[in-house]
Amino acid sequence: MELWILFGSFVALLLIGTPVAFCLGVASFLTVLYLGLPPVVVFQRLNSGISVFALMAIPFFIFAGDLMVRGDIARRLVALAGAMIGHVRGGLGQVNIVASLMFGGVSGSAAADASAVGGLMVPQMKERGYDVDYAVNITVVSSIIALMVPPSHNMIIYSIAAGGRLSIADLFTAGIIPGLLLAFMLMIAAWWVARKKGYPTEPFPGLRMLGTLAVAALPGLILIAIIFGGVRSGWFTASESSNVAVVYALLVTTLVYRSLPWSEFVEATKGAVRTTAMVLLVIGTAACFGWLLAYLRVPTQLVEILQNVSDNPIVILLLMNIILLILGTFMDMSPLIVITTPIFLPVAVAFGVDPVHFGVILILNLGIGLCTPPVGAVLFVGCAVGRISIWQAMRTIWPFYGAAFATLMLVTYVPALSLWLPSMFR
Amino acid sequence: AACEITLRSSDTHPDGYPTVEGVKAMAEEVLERTDGRICIEVFPSSQLGEERDTIEQTQFGVIDLVRASFGTFNDIVPVTQTFSLPYLFRNVDHMHAVMDGPIGEEIGAAFEERDLVVLAYYDGGARSFYNSQRPINSIEDLAGLKIRVIQNDVFVDMMDALGAVATPMPYGEVYSGIQTGVIDGAENNYPSYDSSGHAEVAPYFTLDEHLMVPELVAMSKTSWDALSPEDQEVVRDSARNSSTTQRQLWAEAEAASEEAVIAAGAEIVREIDKQPFIDAMAPVYEKYATSPEAQDLVERIRATE
Amino acid sequence: MREGLIRFATMTGAVAQAALWLAGTGLVLMTVFVFAQVFYRYAIGSSLFWAEPAAVMLMGWFIFLGAAVGVKEGYHLSFDVGLMVVPESWRPWFHSFSDVVVTGFGFGMAWFGWQLAARASTGVVPGLGISRLWDFAPLIGGGVLLMLFSVERILRRAAGLRTMRFGDNDDAIDGEIDGLAGAGSAAALMAADPRTTDPHATDPRADRTTTAAPRARKGD
Ligand code: NA
Ligand code: NA
Repeated sequence: MELWILFGSFVALLLIGTPVAFCLGVASFLTVLYLGLPPVVVFQRLNSGISVFALMAIPFFIFAGDLMVRGDIARRLVALAGAMIGHVRGGLGQVNIVASLMFGGVSGSAAADASAVGGLMVPQMKERGYDVDYAVNITVVSSIIALMVPPSHNMIIYSIAAGGRLSIADLFTAGIIPGLLLAFMLMIAAWWVARKKGYPTEPFPGLRMLGTLAVAALPGLILIAIIFGGVRSGWFTASESSNVAVVYALLVTTLVYRSLPWSEFVEATKGAVRTTAMVLLVIGTAACFGWLLAYLRVPTQLVEILQNVSDNPIVILLLMNIILLILGTFMDMSPLIVITTPIFLPVAVAFGVDPVHFGVILILNLGIGLCTPPVGAVLFVGCAVGRISIWQAMRTIWPFYGAAFATLMLVTYVPALSLWLPSMFR
Repeated sequence: AACEITLRSSDTHPDGYPTVEGVKAMAEEVLERTDGRICIEVFPSSQLGEERDTIEQTQFGVIDLVRASFGTFNDIVPVTQTFSLPYLFRNVDHMHAVMDGPIGEEIGAAFEERDLVVLAYYDGGARSFYNSQRPINSIEDLAGLKIRVIQNDVFVDMMDALGAVATPMPYGEVYSGIQTGVIDGAENNYPSYDSSGHAEVAPYFTLDEHLMVPELVAMSKTSWDALSPEDQEVVRDSARNSSTTQRQLWAEAEAASEEAVIAAGAEIVREIDKQPFIDAMAPVYEKYATSPEAQDLVERIRATE
Repeated sequence: MREGLIRFATMTGAVAQAALWLAGTGLVLMTVFVFAQVFYRYAIGSSLFWAEPAAVMLMGWFIFLGAAVGVKEGYHLSFDVGLMVVPESWRPWFHSFSDVVVTGFGFGMAWFGWQLAARASTGVVPGLGISRLWDFAPLIGGGVLLMLFSVERILRRAAGLRTMRFGDNDDAIDGEIDGLAGAGSAAALMAADPRTTDPHATDPRADRTTTAAPRARKGD
């Protein structure tokens, strides 16, 4: 009965259009009332859920991303990607993917990537005769790369949800190869679609131009090196690296590029506050919801159910992936990480899956969820940038979903893709 | 018979950890002695929140039982601050003698004013220093080392007094912090030193046992009052008995971890002269044991055989 | 009633702007504190003990302030499918019900936040030396603002003024239309599919990345 109230009120509120954060909080509140517990616990969980030092990486990476978009760092990275890869079949589509890889190296947010890279690429692609849905599809799915390559604040959320004992540096490192693999798979898909549709290639601008663009983008590239190198060499911790990214982005945009006037700085700050407040409120109320799931022993029961279904780790991992993909179509990433990690991680560990490997699977899986309707923040952004409807995007997105799903399967069943690189650093 | 009363108990440690197993032992005895009427469910691994949160939940009667360290109670029951003072106990037996004696009773009464009923004192072992740089044989060896501490003023001042650099950091970042040199070391007990893998990156362990902070199992006053006097008796009795089990499990866990870290290459310094360390703590005691009551408590603890 | 409501909305608009500025200042200060901590460790070789707890407390403030402003400006992520299948005339009722739910939650934040604060007030925040009451102050402050802003939404809708929500794809995020323009049938406005109306046609700044960016990060 308690579970019916918890999930029933959550879904009912969701359907009448109550913001997700409040659906989670109010459903928890009603369930606590039904159980006869002091309601104060809901608000304690909310407060504790957001008072975590490591969560600070979220506002910082979002802030840094806003500053980079407004202060010209993102545009220069995209220009460099264009010179590097534009001459491959599907030209600007390939550029879009490589730009996501580069921008993903400084930002941890898929939606930031979709709006930054998409905002720059989609109009150019339209102009050069690409179908808008092709441009949007690539923008949307390739932005998952930003979640995989470090830095990724979602890895930090996962580490906290897993009890705060996983090394964030290891999680960061573990995402690199899967991120590159995803980029590679998407490039194949982009190439395949481009060949079918006869899309043009871009002329190679010459090594000299490439060099000029690389120099122009250098501060952005250096940030990638600072973040990853800094964490790995011990200048600062993983959560501190997000702060360094903000300070560095500020220094570059104000002193080197001189591209960030005060008004843009204020807008970037307000934008970061709005986005962070929204994301972290969901994390806070998801903490209430997660507390109730634990209190009602949902994870334990689920482990028992799954164990009855099969004792084969391959089957269990497939089941978990399917459940996560389904959940991911309905819900957003951060609340799902906070809600599902305490449920699925013990199951995965019980079946011999390394927690770091599981983290990579989880992030990639939920990243795909960001690109699927009905609830897909990145899909919304991509469609808004391309000004097309979700249905228009849906008709032709399948090759890219296919590439992402194939990557998910490879990452799930080849643990070395995630675990080999971190082991090299030990 | 089915459970008539279900008591929920929280622990931050994972399943199988001595404190978790201790409460499970208590649960078993209670179940048996009440013919299955009273069930205790243990929620390990911080499922219901961190220690401070679950203490608050117990105070409000959201959950019924909590296992937590004295260190977390410092704000709630001020008398517990004394137990966070470094080198207060001579050794583990001394700590047991204090907690099982009249001082333990007296502390228990202080919890009652905060809506908590103390049922049993557990063993949290002794915390010692470890680092990646050098074996610590004397206080001079500690000088200048960046040691990770819990965000707690006493620990920070303790490190200052020892000449080391206190560096607060989330637990999850300690491993890579040591590995990459953000910090030189940390301090903890054998089982945590082992399970965290810190022994791999910080092999120099010095058994200085600077902190022995007791752990306890407490019950919500609301839940306690809801029990009949006979059931209260059973619960309290079983809790006391479980503390014997828990201490024994703790000793075994410590021995096993010690073996494991040595096998992993840790170098243990056992024989050190603790007196200079104890002497260096004078300013810390001056700062934190200010009231006559606290000073009296320190005296009485030290006088306990 | 409309006149009074518009004056009320102008007032809450000012409160929201103040809250947003405060929150932004909090974010900048937090950046400074954490950077100071990193810098201090290298330059001075010791730690700033107040930096971490101070930053965490600032984060609490800007999350709850920002979340309250988010209710006013309607930028919280929500779900449209259920609204699409019901008759148009139902939608304002659904929205008002949502706002009542949010008001209730805001009341809970303030009320129970106060209970938590009262119990914790004897304690001290480690590293800062101030009462633990401050740990819960953002919860209380945010709860009060949430109530204020969601009640305003209910009144506005009743009076036929425009209210914003996620997916409306307008410039509410900059708080420009508060209490001023935007009159008309709320239902008609909310029924408009965000993807079929051109958001940039009415947006004087018409800058794709700046309008997309703040909406963008809803999600991850
Ligand atoms: Na990234
Ligand atoms: Na989705």
